Amino acid sequence: MNILITGASSQLAQAIATELKDDHSVRLMDSVPVDVAEGCDFIQGNILDPDDSWDAVRGIDTLIHTGEPPTDLPSDELKREQMLLDLATRGTHVLFSAGVEAGIKKFICASTLSIFNNYPDDVYITELWKPLPSPEIVEMTKYLGELTAREFARDHLVTATGLRLGELVLEEAVQGETPNLAWLDIRDAASAFRCVLNRDSSNSAEWTRRWAVYHICADIPNPKFLIDQARGIGYQPTHDFQSLYLNPSG
Amino acid sequence: MKKVLVLGASGNIAPYVTPDLEKDYDLYLSDIVPHPDGKPIINVDITSYSEVLEVCRGMDAIINFAVLRDDPVVSFDVSTKGAYHVMKAAAELGIKKVVHTGPQLVRNAYDHEFGISDPPLAPGVGYYGITKYLSMEICEIFSRTYDIQTVCFLFNGLGAKPTEHVTQGDFPPFTVVWEDLQHACRLALEIESVPGNFQSFNLLSYFTQGKYQVEKAKRMLGFTPMGGLEDYFRRVTNST
Repeated sequence: MNILITGASSQLAQAIATELKDDHSVRLMDSVPVDVAEGCDFIQGNILDPDDSWDAVRGIDTLIHTGEPPTDLPSDELKREQMLLDLATRGTHVLFSAGVEAGIKKFICASTLSIFNNYPDDVYITELWKPLPSPEIVEMTKYLGELTAREFARDHLVTATGLRLGELVLEEAVQGETPNLAWLDIRDAASAFRCVLNRDSSNSAEWTRRWAVYHICADIPNPKFLIDQARGIGYQPTHDFQSLYLNPSG
Repeated sequence: MKKVLVLGASGNIAPYVTPDLEKDYDLYLSDIVPHPDGKPIINVDITSYSEVLEVCRGMDAIINFAVLRDDPVVSFDVSTKGAYHVMKAAAELGIKKVVHTGPQLVRNAYDHEFGISDPPLAPGVGYYGITKYLSMEICEIFSRTYDIQTVCFLFNGLGAKPTEHVTQGDFPPFTVVWEDLQHACRLALEIESVPGNFQSFNLLSYFTQGKYQVEKAKRMLGFTPMGGLEDYFRRVTNST
């Protein structure tokens, strides 16, 4: 399968590439130069530019849009907010439009579980709950990007999947810290993208089958975020932060 | 009188609404183009946050009629980023009332149904629909967080009420007449709060087709459409 992964400079994109590169042909894209893993291709381009997006999606079977911003965001706070908003909304639209035009049938879009932070911790959150994002720019724009991606499944015969990821960490890097209900080891996050690769509802007459969303986080004791839906597509996280729960004092 | 900023004051909507509102509100009309009736306009580019922030100072409420319908770049700049600027300014300045507008986003999904009143929106990926839909999400996020009461009106068509009998013609779907929109804007400016701080409402003025309804606007806002407009479309029979 030929796979395009956006946001190449991000840890997430590189983890996904590492996860998939041995079994698939992987191309990474970013607006800044990036050294990618051996065996992967790289294309430099801005998703806001229709020509760049078109060049990136040619020959691709599955588009993985990490929604991760480039490393050269403006330092000015307002300009940074505007850029993130632009990338998440117009950027996703330009990229997915190019993908549809190029005949891509599978789209995967990363979102975030932080859109449920406004709920108290004494509830079980599943994909049935209404997101309540805050205006914090990264959180809000991830959600807007997810909504933009969803609409492509409504209007086109494509399979689009939203993966709402927990807070990305490396298990070994958070030893000694107080466990977070949303923690997700970045390697498990990458494995979730693999699980979605075979989801194919592109020919379904019902758009609600063409679109799906899954919550992705660690398998921890007494979870707030239930991941049963993701287990149904084969998600089996291996980093469970067990030592922190067995030995809370670290 | 409440000070109300009107963004997009020279467009296709505001010039038909503001003459009625200006009797009871201190309106500040802003746009990037001259007003069609020559009224004074404050030049404000909604894509510039600094300009939006400056013009919002001292306002009690903001009505955002600004829209750019079908452009791959400017629709996002005006409709989505513009709404972000409006809500960010309202939050920063403590402005507690915003009136937002957008297209009906339901006909694609429900046009073969009947008795439809404010179903979930189905914007699709057209520039007009998606950019306005995202703007509504932004409005809701800011409203919930900063206790801003935001009322959003959605409609398909706008126009004058009929003045003479129409022969062999049906009335337009999902269309609101100016008087009803004026009435709705007044209700929005005066209502103290709406559930969840943000609510969108379908608006229309013709009902006897039994298709689209405005029950939610009636229930929450007290919207009472002028009614009787369907009579202009009655077929003449021997008994009439």
